[in-house]
Amino acid sequence: MSTRTKAADLVSQQGNYAGSVTRFLAYVIDLAVSSGLFALGLAATSFVAEVVTGHSITWNRSNIVVAILFAVWSFLYFGYSWAASGRTLGMAVLGLRVVRADGAVLDPWRGYLRSLVFPLSFLVFGLGFLGILVQREHRALQDLIAGSAVIYAWDARAARLRFLAREAELGVADGPQRPASTPGTPG
Amino acid sequence: MTDPVEPIAQRVAERAIDLVVNALDVNALVARVDLNAVVRSVDLDEILKKVDVNVVVDRLDVNALLNRVDVNNLLDRLDVNALLDRLDVNALLDRVELSPILDRVDINALLDRADIDNVLRRVDVGAVVDRVDINEVVGRIDMDALVEETDLGAVIARSSGGVASEALDAARSQAVGLDQFIDRWVQRLLRRKQPGPLAPPAMLADQAVLADQAVLADQAVQADQAEQ
Repeated sequence: MSTRTKAADLVSQQGNYAGSVTRFLAYVIDLAVSSGLFALGLAATSFVAEVVTGHSITWNRSNIVVAILFAVWSFLYFGYSWAASGRTLGMAVLGLRVVRADGAVLDPWRGYLRSLVFPLSFLVFGLGFLGILVQREHRALQDLIAGSAVIYAWDARAARLRFLAREAELGVADGPQRPASTPGTPG
Repeated sequence: MTDPVEPIAQRVAERAIDLVVNALDVNALVARVDLNAVVRSVDLDEILKKVDVNVVVDRLDVNALLNRVDVNNLLDRLDVNALLDRLDVNALLDRVELSPILDRVDINALLDRADIDNVLRRVDVGAVVDRVDINEVVGRIDMDALVEETDLGAVIARSSGGVASEALDAARSQAVGLDQFIDRWVQRLLRRKQPGPLAPPAMLADQAVLADQAVLADQAVQADQAEQ
């Protein structure tokens, strides 16, 4: 396959149903970010409480209050992100977007509903995520309930132009030789 | 030997004729002749049939004739507007073969004599631009070739975040590659012969447009390479 054909593939994949690896990596990033922000919030709360009351507060992970706060925070983190823009920070990094099952922009209430039922996929021993692998449209349990789907939505055309630009710049610097192919596949 | 009387008779006759002619008032005779009646009785057509017009024309000094014509006076008497009104210009143009005329036109000389700057000053560029479909023009630009063969590529490369965007493009591409790899194996394990839909319905139309643009750009580049 020629360089240009791969570049064309890269563009043509935009809008396709996203696969498991990309979605998993996006979730890992989101988990790290949301957990980090939650921990930061707890630390800030402890600091303020200590300054105001003079007593130090220690948070125990097994504490039910902390668990409930984390659940609420996660719901808001994911729910607001999906409702507002159809993507969380991790999904933005990996170039994913949640859309309606027919491909239209996700309704805000579907974003919150998706966030609400998201834990169900864990509660059924992770089987809720199996749909990403085996379902024809790569839709997990939360997608089937909320009527949503996840697609590749990074600007593959801009990425293709960036690749060609880098290629051109390398060509200017190193002479006529060029890299053999574009990076990877689509977006 | 001739008869001696004959010369005498001849001299007498000549003398008699002279006396008659001298005594004849030709003007009075002509005045009594009805010339109009004479002319009417002449069959001009019959006479003209016997005239060799070509010989007459050959003997005619046309230049001398034209020299005696006062052209200005002639033109003053000519009603050009009436003439043009009677003239079927379209029919005239239909009969004119323009190609030979244009072949004889020295376009370069014509352009040298033209004041292009003056012409351009009179052009309403705004009106011209309004009539141009910019989107169509942009759509016909081969962005690949533009980026690769101009400094625009370097500008994009420098302005698009450098290492960060390169790493992001690479990470996304690798992740998508792994997605496809796993998906292929799952399809095999599930023994699916018909692949599922690639994208939601609303996205397929956008994909078709993007793919068409990419394919057109690809074909244009291939055509250029073939010509070279």
